[in-house]
Formats: sequence, C-alpha cells, structure tokens
Amino acid sequence: MTCNFQRKPRATSVRMSVNVGGLEMKNPVTVASGTFAAGREYHDFVDVSTLGAVTTKGVSLHGWEGNASPRIAETPSGMLNSIGLQNPGVAHLKEHDLPWLSQVGATVIANVSGHSFDEYVAVIEALEGAPVDAYEVNISCPNVDAGGMTIGTDPKSVEAVVSRCRAATKRPLIVKLTPNVTNIAEIAVAAEASGADAISLINTLLGMAIDAHTRKPLLARVVGGLSGPCVKPVALRLVWECSKAVRVPLIGMGGISTGTDAVEFMLAGATAVSVGTANFVNPAATIDVIDGIATYCEDNGVKDVTELIGALEC
Amino acid sequence: MALVNECARVVSNEQLAAKLYLMRVESPEIARSILPGQFVHMKIAGMDDHILRRPFSVYARNAEEGTFDVLYQVVGTGSARMTDMAAGANCEFIGPIGTPWQPPTGTHRALVVGGGVGAAPVFMLCEHLLASDVDLTVVLGAATRDALVCKSRYEALLGHEPRCATDDGTYGRAGFCTSLVEEALEGANAAGQPYDYVAVCGPEPLMRIVARMAADANVHCQVSMERRMACGVGACLSCVVETVDGRRRSCVDGPVFDARKVVWA
Repeated sequence: MTCNFQRKPRATSVRMSVNVGGLEMKNPVTVASGTFAAGREYHDFVDVSTLGAVTTKGVSLHGWEGNASPRIAETPSGMLNSIGLQNPGVAHLKEHDLPWLSQVGATVIANVSGHSFDEYVAVIEALEGAPVDAYEVNISCPNVDAGGMTIGTDPKSVEAVVSRCRAATKRPLIVKLTPNVTNIAEIAVAAEASGADAISLINTLLGMAIDAHTRKPLLARVVGGLSGPCVKPVALRLVWECSKAVRVPLIGMGGISTGTDAVEFMLAGATAVSVGTANFVNPAATIDVIDGIATYCEDNGVKDVTELIGALEC
Repeated sequence: MALVNECARVVSNEQLAAKLYLMRVESPEIARSILPGQFVHMKIAGMDDHILRRPFSVYARNAEEGTFDVLYQVVGTGSARMTDMAAGANCEFIGPIGTPWQPPTGTHRALVVGGGVGAAPVFMLCEHLLASDVDLTVVLGAATRDALVCKSRYEALLGHEPRCATDDGTYGRAGFCTSLVEEALEGANAAGQPYDYVAVCGPEPLMRIVARMAADANVHCQVSMERRMACGVGACLSCVVETVDGRRRSCVDGPVFDARKVVWA
C-alpha cells in the first residue's frame, strides 16, 4: 500500500524545456485553466514549481458569481461543466494567489476573461506589475453569455480583442480558442495576425446531457462544455489543423491524461500541452504526464523534447 | 492537514439491506488523520468510461488497524460497480477532505440527526461528543425498518436505542424523523435544559426543516451539504452551495456548514 505525498518529476537526461512564444517552460506541461485553481489546491500532491507553468483560473475585473447548480455532469469518458467562470476578481488573484505562486517559484500563465473588450484589457493592465510570466486570453469559454466563446467564433472580434490586448502588454500573449467553430484555422490566423505569440486549444466542446427519467437536463444551464478523454480525437485534429495554418507555437489540450497522450499532441504540432480534467481523476496527473513524456523520449532515442513538435509522419 | 492520495485495499464489502452496503478499507494515513464530518474522494478501479471520483463520508475508523468504513447506497454506475469489489481489491482515496463538525466550545447537550445514509457521517461526531461527556440525543430516520442499518452501532455506542422513525412505520415513529426532532427540542426547552448544538446530515429537505427548528429554538445548528463534485480539493468550483456569503465550495469550505449561512433551494 502506498501513499502519495507531494510529487516532482523524476530525473531524466532528456532536454525537456520548451519556449512558447517567449515563455520559457522547464518542461512542456501546464494545466488547463479552471481545472487547477491557482495551484495551491494541488500543492499537496504536486510541487507546482516543477510544472512547465501553472495556468490560473480565468479571472475577470471584479469577479463573477458563475452559474447555478448543478454545474457538472459525468458523461461517457468525460464530463460536462457549466461553472461560468466564477472568480473573485483580479485584485484577489493579485493579493492572494500570485504572491504564493511567486513564493513557491512557479511559472505563471494568467488566464484573462472579460465580458467586453475593455474588460480584457483592464484585467491585463491590472496584472502588468504582478508576477505573471504570460497571459492566456480566454475567448472560448462556452458558459458565459458575454465574452468568452461569443468573441472567439468570429475572426473580426478575435482581431479586435487580441490586438487591444497586444497593445496592453509586452509579455507573451497566448490566445485560447474554442473548438465550436466551422474553421478553426481562420480563427488561429486572425489571432496570429493580431499579435498573439502563441495559441492554446481546445477549450471545451459545447454539449448537453439529459435525464430521460425526469425529462430534465443534467445541468442547470442546460448546455455546458465537454472535456476529458472523449474529446481527445477532436482536439488532436484541431491542433493539427492549426499547426498547418500558423507559425506561432501551440499549446495543445483536450483529454490528456498520460505522457503518450501528450506526445501525440506534440507530434500533431503542439509545443506544449495542458492537463485538464485528468487532474480531477488523478491529482498528480501532471507529474505522470511529464514523466511519461520523458519515458517516451528515452525509449525512442529522443534527446530533446522539441524534436517531437510536428513530427507526425503522414 | 495535508491531503494525500492513498492507494487503499478493500478489507470487506457486505450488503446490509436493499441497495445499502458497508465497505471497510485499509487506508492507514487517512484512517489516522480523518476528523468527524470529513470525507474521502474515491477512485474506483476499472471505470474508464466513468472517469470522475466519488465522494463518501467516513462512517467509522480504526486508527490502530488503519481502516475506515464507508456506508454507501447504490444509486448509479459507480456505486453499482463498488458492490463488485471483493476483499483485496485496490482503490484510491484522496483525503481527509473538508471541514469537520465543530460543536461550540462548552457544549453540554447535543442533538444529532441522521436521515437515511446520513446516519453514517454523524457517527464519529457522536463518538467525539460522548468522549467529551456531552449529553447526547440521537435521532435516526429511514424509509423502512431494514434501512435502519446504523441502529445497532448507535445502540452499542450510546448504551441505549437511538430515537428512530421510519417513513412506512415499520419501526419506531411512523413518518419523518422531523417529528422526533421537534419533540426533542421542545422537551429539552420545557425541562429547562436546552440543547446547545444540533448536527444534521441527510436529504436536503430534512436538513432544511431541522435547521429551521433549531433556529426557532435558538440552538446552533450545523448541516453537511452534498453536491455533484469533480476535483474534491477546491479547484473546480463544481460543488458550490448558495450561502449568505455567496457561493461556497461544499468540498473544502464545507461539507459542514453553519445552517444559518445556507440559502436553501
């Protein structure tokens, strides 16, 4: 019987560091925003300073209450969520979470949300003096009525918000895309043309679940975002399409729970990956993914993890 | 107290009544450290198509033997799968999670109410209260006689039978156990020896009614809230409870809440 206390990645001779649009990551693994809070909740299981980065929960200017409960439903090999970006606002992040992340030595990607273009910019401006290594602009949350996915499905609004965020900071700017579009490549191109240093994908797939016996939806909001292993094939396809459309690096995510999953995303063109729903299943999933990537590289004669990026043979 | 993710082993897993099972697991770290009211988040092996963990209150623990007990009701795929787990089977628990029951300092008389499988999460509280020489009244409710599966353990603990009610009248008071709660509160007040603490766990309507009765009697009351849960560690914000202070996570801001703070649906 074993008991897992705080874990770190094991030693490896493989060169694991990557650069994502100016963001130096000690390994290619971060977390999907919203699955890891600001890291503290997982620090009993994982030394969060050993991750490539901690991507914090989406933050708005003054805080949001989120959606009514029930907010989640388990679905085959995955889950739906309709949290709705509940967060206490950027001041709370600056006061309580960023100092702690800085103290433990974590690399930080701050996920930025807003109901309007102005709010995205205001959140970035509020964070400019704070210990943040990069921003991830969330134009892809399916669970809010304004901002989020409503922006990220139209190339013109993508250009508008990304160019304004670009003007607000010199820090690496990552734009997170929704899969709920007909042609993700044109959205990625719009983000790149507007100054994005990197693109992360995918946010959740819009879905729903119904209880046939009660004839009611399982989520109070009726619809929500699908995540978990069930979305991995869709996510891989979208990463592969984007990798052919843009030059900026990609952070791939969607159903990653093992090192092999992560390697598949890198082969499809991702420079780094995010672990999301798997954190809920295995609180040390991030470490297992880092170690699993190292094992793959060791077993396949890969000396530098960057050799995997876009190395798909087809 | 740091959380751990402990690889555990099933010691026994027996059916107690229709859809009600008792599982004992060897999980020394959690068994040593868990407090009354805290819970564990279980990963059931071989459930690749149902990926999320399941939260369970701990019914009892034996710190020396490194075991704890979970009383569970079969309600869905996960709990149905659990019934197949034989002695020796492996599983994982994150724990100990959440806020424990916190009787006010100087509590002399306590009323503890468990409805259905809610009888389990208050058992360790009762052990604690008796060890602290608190004058304790226990009220248990269940749908039917056979579902009063915790009664014998409470008898052994209290040295007498707990006050029981069954919805169908097959044992004890017929109807909901709220009538027993009301009598206990009124009787204590009439005798000039009012309770100074009420703890209740069970279906939400039961907790809401008991919370109201306690408030009317001016007695401090705590409730244990359950919500659909994903991470179990406070990160995902799936399990929020409406409170007068805003939406709070049932996993780490609860599961035990001051009843006056809860905004009932």
